Amino acid sequence: MKYLVRSQGFGATVGVIAMLAVFTVIDFSGWWTVQTLSNVTQFTAILALVALGQALVIMTKEIDLSVGSIYGLTGVAFITLEPSLGVPGSLIVALFIAAIAGFVQGTAVVKGELPSMIVTLGGLFAARGIIYVWTGGSVHNFSPDARTHALTRLLGGELFGIAAAIYWVGIISLLLSIMLWGTRFGNRLLATGGSRESAESRGVRTDRVKTAAFVLCSLLAGFAGILTLCNQPQTHVTLGENMELEAISAAVIGGCLLTGGRGSILGVILGALIVVSFRYELIALGAPSSWYITFVGAVLIVAVIFNQKLARFLGHSV
Amino acid sequence: MTQQPLIQVKNLDLYFGAFHALKNVSVDFNAGELIGLVGDNGAGKTTLIRVLCGIHAPTKGEVFFDGRKVEKFHPKLAIDQGIETIQQSVGLCDNLSIARNFYLGREPVKRILGIPFLDFAKMREKSSRVIRQFGLRENVSADDEVERLSGGERQSVKIGRAVEFKNRVVIMDEPTNHLSVREREHVNELAVQLKEQGLLVIYITHDIFQVHKLADRVVIMENGEKVADASTDSMSAEALEDVIRQGGRVVEKQEAV
Repeated sequence: MKYLVRSQGFGATVGVIAMLAVFTVIDFSGWWTVQTLSNVTQFTAILALVALGQALVIMTKEIDLSVGSIYGLTGVAFITLEPSLGVPGSLIVALFIAAIAGFVQGTAVVKGELPSMIVTLGGLFAARGIIYVWTGGSVHNFSPDARTHALTRLLGGELFGIAAAIYWVGIISLLLSIMLWGTRFGNRLLATGGSRESAESRGVRTDRVKTAAFVLCSLLAGFAGILTLCNQPQTHVTLGENMELEAISAAVIGGCLLTGGRGSILGVILGALIVVSFRYELIALGAPSSWYITFVGAVLIVAVIFNQKLARFLGHSV
Repeated sequence: MTQQPLIQVKNLDLYFGAFHALKNVSVDFNAGELIGLVGDNGAGKTTLIRVLCGIHAPTKGEVFFDGRKVEKFHPKLAIDQGIETIQQSVGLCDNLSIARNFYLGREPVKRILGIPFLDFAKMREKSSRVIRQFGLRENVSADDEVERLSGGERQSVKIGRAVEFKNRVVIMDEPTNHLSVREREHVNELAVQLKEQGLLVIYITHDIFQVHKLADRVVIMENGEKVADASTDSMSAEALEDVIRQGGRVVEKQEAV
């Protein structure tokens, strides 16, 4: 219990329990159905991947606003390159594009000593622009062959009735947890976010750490885009729009402090679950879909207040 | 002393643009010595130290470390050579545990299936053993975040780290600022302990009386110049204070005459 309260994911855990209790009371028959739960968990898995990358960047005390556009760009590259490269080839090239986007933005932030909010805002527009030019605004589809390709099924199919994305988020979050808490890189990433100056005084190359975080973030956003399109292989120019805001919300609700150096992998996944559940349930209850943004905003503010109070209660200087 | 100095600074000049920050400074620093580096703000003591720990490269002049000429100045190189700088406000990440801070940048690893994982058992056990020697409370564990520590205990972590990594030079930049009286005494004891272990300790401070009690030798800087370099046996604290009070003017007058 002590460990639970001390971990950054405590707020999100309480949030999920409260949310499920409310949904049970107001919409028991609508919420606890296989259909609802499978939809919600799948969307959660996709958003969680994007939010996990975002969380790594936030832990280094930066932010990445471009993830929605990178998610879209990677997905578009994956679908449109498939006819010439095949499924595995276009998967690799699409992820490579994502990695390059992260590397360029990360390098601009650390070498140019620029605020990441501005650099990645530029990235958001630039990548979205490329999507428009590349697709010409039209919708692209996978060929029937590509849809049945083993790799497409592995990334977008399901096993025992559970969507592939859920297994993937399980595997990736486990790997990220190990990386973050159990390796040198993780220790240095947390140190970079905690105090860049102190980390550098110990010989940590914080510029490399931050760039690596941006690359991982873009890769995860790109991978989430690919998972989405393997499930429903059809691109739109709006693919991933506003996703950066949902991802940041999920990370912050999940207990990542924007002051850097603190966060929780499990918390981020629960944060994504809260954001997605609100969207799904408000629509299911018949509220106009645009209300959902307002609700997420309200939840976000409550979460920030809660997490900050919790952090202060635990004696952290935030 | 017949032994070769551990750090030898020869005719060092450093300009920041047109500003002449260090003027023909020459000092020898010996292993096993505690040297007080004293001077007012802007005297050049911190600038001199920043050359030694690789942050600034000199414009002119030479630095020898252990008899070898230093060709490249970079903080990482200085750390690798065993020069540790302890600053009041820098060096610890509040969000990390004592053990993680202790080993930051030099984390020990244990390979499992070829993958290097942090060796937590070693990190915990060794860091707490080393820091306890330097006065960490018994009820604080190596897993606690450094945020919980008092100012003096934070210095203990940094000093323990300096000892553990077989450093040869420990530079303490105003180590007792913002500390309580008891903590100040504790940190000063630690500085002497380090010296007794054979390290070179350079202790930077404004307070000549405090450092005079500890140091073997005091070097006074003023306006980028070395204005005094005397063993504490040969000069009293009061005499040294006079040199500081009159600043470089004493020297200038003598030159003018």
